[in-house]
Amino acid sequence: MAYQRVAIVGAGITKFVRRAHETGKELAAQAAKMALDSCGMTMKDIESVSLGTAPDAFDGVHMKGEYLSDGSGGWRKPYMRQFVGGGTGVFAPIHGWYHVASGMFDTCLVVCSEKMSSCHPHPQGAFKTIFDHTTEQALNPTLIWIFALEMNRYMSTYGITKEEIALVSVKNKKNAMDHPAAQLPMEITVEDVLNSETLAWPVNRLDISPASDGAAAIVLASEHTAKRITDKPVWIDGVGWNLDTAYWATRDLYYPRYVEKAARMAYEMAGITEPKREIEIAEPYDPFDYKELHHMEGLLLADRGKAVEMLLDGKTQRDGDRPMCPSGGALGVGNPIAATGLMKVIEIFLQLRGEAGKRQVPGNPRCGLAQAWGDLMQVGTVVVLRR
Amino acid sequence: MGLTERINQTDQLSYYEGQIPVEYVYTYGLGLEKFFRAIKDDGKFLASRCLECGITYFPVRSFCERCLGKIEDTVAVPGTGKVYAFTVVHLNMDESPKKEPALVALIDVDGTDCRFLHYLTGVEAYEVRVGMKVKPILKAKKDRRGHIEDILGFQPA
Repeated sequence: MAYQRVAIVGAGITKFVRRAHETGKELAAQAAKMALDSCGMTMKDIESVSLGTAPDAFDGVHMKGEYLSDGSGGWRKPYMRQFVGGGTGVFAPIHGWYHVASGMFDTCLVVCSEKMSSCHPHPQGAFKTIFDHTTEQALNPTLIWIFALEMNRYMSTYGITKEEIALVSVKNKKNAMDHPAAQLPMEITVEDVLNSETLAWPVNRLDISPASDGAAAIVLASEHTAKRITDKPVWIDGVGWNLDTAYWATRDLYYPRYVEKAARMAYEMAGITEPKREIEIAEPYDPFDYKELHHMEGLLLADRGKAVEMLLDGKTQRDGDRPMCPSGGALGVGNPIAATGLMKVIEIFLQLRGEAGKRQVPGNPRCGLAQAWGDLMQVGTVVVLRR
Repeated sequence: MGLTERINQTDQLSYYEGQIPVEYVYTYGLGLEKFFRAIKDDGKFLASRCLECGITYFPVRSFCERCLGKIEDTVAVPGTGKVYAFTVVHLNMDESPKKEPALVALIDVDGTDCRFLHYLTGVEAYEVRVGMKVKPILKAKKDRRGHIEDILGFQPA
């Protein structure tokens, strides 16, 4: 396959908060301007714009792509919005990659913005209609239910305990203490997680990421353009995404096969044959603590049922052999859906450039991965980055 | 078949009722907060200007859509303008006839580069012309709550 090589050359991110005064478009503009400023570019240098944002029902604005276009730099540009639920934040850079890789454009501004706080009493109300209206909605399912069912199946398949899983939340919320955008940085113990309110067993409040408002943005450039902009480009060497059956109840809940297929697609493109050895640092999607482990397995970064051993051995700590979610993840930094995935891409970008400040992992990693997951827990989106 | 025809027999097996149980509370944001506060408290109209691009936005915006630069300062404008386009609305949303047709216009706002949607008031449909000068009519101060309906409409100036 012939395509232009694509680099990330700049990044920006707003603070993630529970209730922003700013509108979604104001958040988008702040992140986009930060990303442009970080690489000395202006909107005049941007040839195309890609927006990622989750359900319209969150903001209570239909055609949210159109609504957010001014804050995203879409004014009189080739502009597109894309959306694959929680997977959007990593799909948006994939979409931007296409714009540049195809040779159609040399630059693309990728913006992800989410304002969940407009939704009352809680964005979960908007989630109700993602379920089949005839067979499931009347049972009043929430996302917490399906995560609880998946977590239960994952735990019982491999004999993993809540105490072990809680360590992910402890780790990520602690990592977030060093992230300037973080909404829920905290030092907590496994006991704190276990003693927090039970929402739907086995899911307790501290097992879950919060609802958040926030935005993130990156600037993509083709190889010859990137080299003029920065001497530290970070290359998008592999992209992958994959969707499982619409009948979520029939899936193998203990193992995200669609994540594996997305990862294999990205690995093949990046020439990665041994992900456990070659992927030195990763940001698997962690809206719930068990999801980090679940996704490490789907990403082939751990054997099935064995991610928990890497966690218990300290390998996934920031100073461990294979740091996972050094940013603090969705659990610690916050979870403004689409912006979360892009925050993860930005974390790997900064880590590979050696610019992650207090969060910098040791060992000068050269290759990393960011992943998100969404739709009705059925889509996996993956990018592999190298410096 | 009318556009508003409804399915009412949801007790029969073919149909199933549903709703999205959500309400919204929208923040005005950094720009519009200033705009609506000035209307509510002072009966004034504010615009904001991007010095980089030379564009004056109405109502107030907190960033420029062209360069994405932050705009912090506001400028007062009279709120007057000219009718850019108008329409006469005869039916309600449920297709029932309106008692009085509603006049809706886009107003070219003086001293700005923007147009603004609102009602025309104190004028008959046959009198309205494109290019006609208009001015905003506000509710009494005690009735204003920082809302788009604090402006009753625009009437010929």
